[in-house]
Amino acid sequence: MSENRIDTNRIFPQRLTLDGVTPGMDFEEVVFGPLTRDDFVRYAEASGDDNPIHQDEEYARSQGAPTVFAMGMLNAGFLATALGHWVGGPQHIRRFKTRFTNRVWAGDELVCSGKVVSIEDGLIKISLEARRRGEGPEGLGLDDEQSAIVGEADVELPAD
Amino acid sequence: MTDEVIEFDLPIEADHVNRFAAAVGDEYNPIYFDPQATQEMGFPGPLAPPTFGVTQIFQVPRDERESKLGANLDYGRVLHGEQEFVITRLPLVGETLKGRMRIAKDFEKEGKRGGTMRFVTYETKFTDIDGDEVMTAYYTLLQTAKDVG
Repeated sequence: MSENRIDTNRIFPQRLTLDGVTPGMDFEEVVFGPLTRDDFVRYAEASGDDNPIHQDEEYARSQGAPTVFAMGMLNAGFLATALGHWVGGPQHIRRFKTRFTNRVWAGDELVCSGKVVSIEDGLIKISLEARRRGEGPEGLGLDDEQSAIVGEADVELPAD
Repeated sequence: MTDEVIEFDLPIEADHVNRFAAAVGDEYNPIYFDPQATQEMGFPGPLAPPTFGVTQIFQVPRDERESKLGANLDYGRVLHGEQEFVITRLPLVGETLKGRMRIAKDFEKEGKRGGTMRFVTYETKFTDIDGDEVMTAYYTLLQTAKDVG
């Protein structure tokens, strides 16, 4: 089974309020993984994204990829999970936008970070990033750490 | 770009929500499964995760989307470029949302290494049984330039 779980009670027990947020504030990094092919299969079954490029080694190679890789939305799903825990629950998220910049491979960790950019009309604007960390597929010579997702979110928090 | 719209139902089922939450590393979050905890938070019951809207692919598979909306993308060179969710409220387990999918944007841009890239954004507005907005998903595909070499 996967180790990619957040223990809600352990990591972010506090309730966050608007008063507790200031621009420039960094949230504590959340690391998922190392990701496994089982994670890709589980996400395929749950999300409906059954593109074989994420599960079938031979097919992935036939499409020019060195091996299978994670769905962008799996990585975005982990990032949304981290965001939900940073802000006291996913029910506070009003907007979540992600742009996919690099593939994430089996064996990679996914390092999620977030920073408060500004507070506008009671909405907290947060910049997001998920980085892949690992050796990557053999022979690709990838950097050990690369940005995989950049994103932004709007979050609405209770005043007190 | 066409004016076609695909209408479909998106059921929010408990077992599906649990499997989805587990797949994105949040299976211990009571908001996704615990009726009592969610009622204490002021919700009628458990909710679905913020990115659960991606499961619309079960209701509208790619081939159906392509044949009805007719973007004519060459999937051999298509990547998922961006995804955005605008969320009024998270979906409630047990409800069925109504989805309306259309092509919201379709434009071309010169690629950095020559050739033309194309961006197609599918917008899906989800409403509840009262017709009230729940969330909107923007799914942007990027068709890379044809190999010029």
